[in-house]
Amino acid sequence: MSMSKLVGLLSAAAIMMALGTSAFAQQKTVKIGAVFPLTGQAASAGVHAKAAIEVALDIINNAHPELGNFPLAKNAGLAGLGGAKLEVVFADNQGSPATGQNQALRLITEEKVVALTGAYQSGITLTTSAISEKYGIPFVNGESVAANLTERGFKWFFRTTPIATDFAKVYYDFLTEMKASGAKTDHIALVHDTTEYGASVAATITSAFKEKGIAIAQDVAYTTNATDVQSQVLQLKEKKPDVVIMISYTSDAILFAKTMQSLDYKPPMLLADDAGYSDPSFLKAVGKISIGAFNRSSWSVGAPGSATAIIAKLYKDKSGDEMDDTAAREMQGFFVLADAIDRAGSTESAKIQAALKATDMKPEQLMMGYKGIKFDDKGQNILASGLIIQLQDGENYVAVFPKANAEKAPVMPYKGW
Amino acid sequence: MRRYVWLLIALALVIAYPWVFSTPFQQRLGALVLLYAIAASAWNIIGGYAGQVSVGHVVFFGCGAYAAMGAYAHYGLSPLVGIPAGFAASVAIAAVIGVPTLRLAGHYFSMATIAVAELARLIVTNTDYLGAAVGLSGPTVPRNVFDLSFISALPYYYLFLIVLAITLVITWWMARSRMGFYLRAIKDSERAARSLGAPASRTKLHAYMLSAGLTSVAGALYAMMFGFVDPESGLGILISVKILIMAALGGAGLLFGPLVGAAILVPLEEISNAWLGGKGAGLTFVVYGAIIMLIARFQPGGILALVNRLLSKRKGAPHAP
Repeated sequence: MSMSKLVGLLSAAAIMMALGTSAFAQQKTVKIGAVFPLTGQAASAGVHAKAAIEVALDIINNAHPELGNFPLAKNAGLAGLGGAKLEVVFADNQGSPATGQNQALRLITEEKVVALTGAYQSGITLTTSAISEKYGIPFVNGESVAANLTERGFKWFFRTTPIATDFAKVYYDFLTEMKASGAKTDHIALVHDTTEYGASVAATITSAFKEKGIAIAQDVAYTTNATDVQSQVLQLKEKKPDVVIMISYTSDAILFAKTMQSLDYKPPMLLADDAGYSDPSFLKAVGKISIGAFNRSSWSVGAPGSATAIIAKLYKDKSGDEMDDTAAREMQGFFVLADAIDRAGSTESAKIQAALKATDMKPEQLMMGYKGIKFDDKGQNILASGLIIQLQDGENYVAVFPKANAEKAPVMPYKGW
Repeated sequence: MRRYVWLLIALALVIAYPWVFSTPFQQRLGALVLLYAIAASAWNIIGGYAGQVSVGHVVFFGCGAYAAMGAYAHYGLSPLVGIPAGFAASVAIAAVIGVPTLRLAGHYFSMATIAVAELARLIVTNTDYLGAAVGLSGPTVPRNVFDLSFISALPYYYLFLIVLAITLVITWWMARSRMGFYLRAIKDSERAARSLGAPASRTKLHAYMLSAGLTSVAGALYAMMFGFVDPESGLGILISVKILIMAALGGAGLLFGPLVGAAILVPLEEISNAWLGGKGAGLTFVVYGAIIMLIARFQPGGILALVNRLLSKRKGAPHAP
C-alpha cells in the first residue's frame, strides 16, 4: 500500500513538474517542429523520416562544399539569417490524429517553433496542419499524398510531393509509350488494399484513366496485413490482364511476390505504386523473384559523385538503410522549408509564408526528380512529378522513364524469378 | 455536510484550472482530461456499476464522432446537430447488440463486444458514405460559433465540464434509484439478484443503452475538437481499452473514479510523450504501461477506492484526547 502511495506521489510530482516547465526559447537557433509516427504501426517510416531530416540538418548546419551548388550546403547555417543554425524538435504522433494535433500545439506554443513539417499519415497531416493554420505557422509537407489536404483553402500549408493525380498521369504517359513500342497495355488490373492509401490511389488512377477513355478492366481489393492472397492472385491468373498495377504496403507486397511465384503467375507487365515496392526490406526479401517489376519513384541515386549520391551515402551512414522514395521526399520538403526561411531572412511567420509562396526552385537545386518547386494558391507544388524505375537485376532500381531521366531502357516482359 | 464542502472546493479548483495553468497546451490537457472523463464515466454505468465489462464501447464513441462529422460533411450542418443523431443511433445499436450479448456472462460478454467493435470498424472502412478509410473532416475554417472550431482550448474546457457534470448527475441519480440497487445486486451475483426478483436482463439493457448514448456524446465532442475522424481514431479498439483503463484505474463503480483515472492517465500520456516521444524509442508506452501495472498490482480497486479506505480508517480511529 505504501508502494501505491509512492507511485501516486511520484506521478503527481511528474505531472506538476511538466506543467510548470515552459519553453525557455532562445533565438540563437531557428526551431522547426517535426511530427512523425515514431511509435505505432508506421514507426519504421517515422524513424526513417527522422534520420532523413537529421541528415538534412547536418547538410544545412555544417559546411558541405562537396555538394556543389546544392542549396544551403556550402556554408554552415543559414546565410540569410547570419549563419543561424537550424534545430528540429521531433515529436511522436503515435499514429493518432489526436496525438499529432496535441503535439503540434505543444511544439507551436511551448517550443515556439517557427514552422512545422510532418506528419506522414495523411489523416494526421490533416489534423496537425489544422492547428498550424489556426496559429498562422507555416507547415511544409513533403510526403502525404491525400488529395484533400490542399483542397481546404489553407494559407499556411504547402506540399512539395507529387500526389496521386500526378502519379496517374505518369502511369498513363508511361503505358502510352510502352504501347507505342509494341507492348500490350489494353487490359489493366488494379490490385490495392482498402486502407486510405490503397483505396484513394486506386480511385484516382481509375478516374484519371477513364478521362483518357481507358477503363480499368479488373479491380482486385484485399485487406492490408493479409495472411493469404491466393484468391487475389488466382483472380488475376484467370483474367490474364496485360498490366497489373500494384498498390500495396511492404508486408502485402512481399506476400504477393511469394504467392505469385508459388502459383506460377507472371503478368506481362507489373507496375507498382511506390510504397511497399520501394521499401529496402521488400528488395531484400523478394527482389530476386520480382525481376523486371516497374515502380514509381521521384528519387534516384544518380551518378557517383553527384549531390544525390552523396546525400544517399550520408543517409545510409545515419540510418543503416538505403534511401527510399518516402524518406527522400520528406527530406526534400524539409530543404524547401529551410530554403524559404533562409530567403525570408527572418523567423517571422508571415515572412516565411511569403517566401514559401515565392518559392521557385529549379530541378538542379533539388535532390528529387521533380521539374521544380512552385506552389499554386492551394499550396500544392505544381512542378512535382515522378519517374518510372525498374528492378532489372533484382537488387536495385534504375530509372527507365521519362527518357530525359532514364538510365536504361525498359525491359519487357516481366521476368519474375 | 463535510462532503458537500469538499465537493464545492473540488469544483472551484476544476473551474479555476485553466486560469492557473494557462498555457494553450495545459488548457488543452485539461480539456482532454474532461473529455476522457466523460467517456470513462459513461462506460462506468455499465462497466462499473453493472459489472459488465464492455470492451466494445468504441462503437458508440465512433457513432457519435461520425454523426458529428457526417452532419457537417454531408449536410453542411453544425457538428452539434450530430450529437442527438449519434445519441439516438447509439442507443438503438446498444439495444440491438445488447439483447444477445448481455446474456453472455463475464469474459464472454467482453469478447462479444470486441467482436462487434472490430466488425463496425471493418464495415466503416469499406463504406464510402462514411469516408471509408480516408475518414471525414469537420469544418476546417469555422463559419460561426456553432461549428465549435476554436483556437483556444478554453471553450472546449468549459463545454466538456458542463457535459461531464450532466453525465455525473445522471450517474449519481441512477445509482441512487431503484435501477442502481438492481445493478449493484447484479454485479455482486446475477443469479442471486434474479432469484430475488430483480429484472436483471432489462436493467442491464437499460444501463447499456444509457451508457452507449452518453459515450456517443463524448465521441462527438472528440471529433469536434480535433475536426477529423477515421476508422482508426474513431473505432480503434485501443480507444475502448483506454476508456476502460481510466475507469478501472480511478475506481470503477465509483462516481468520481473515472474522473480521477482520466486526470492521472491523460496528463501522464501526453507529458511522457512530450518528454520522451521525440527520442523515438517508444519509451512513452513503457512508462505508461509500467505505471498501470504498478497500480493494477498494488491497488486493483482503483485510486479512489484507496482514498476512501484511508479516509474511513481515519474516521474509524479513536480520537486522541
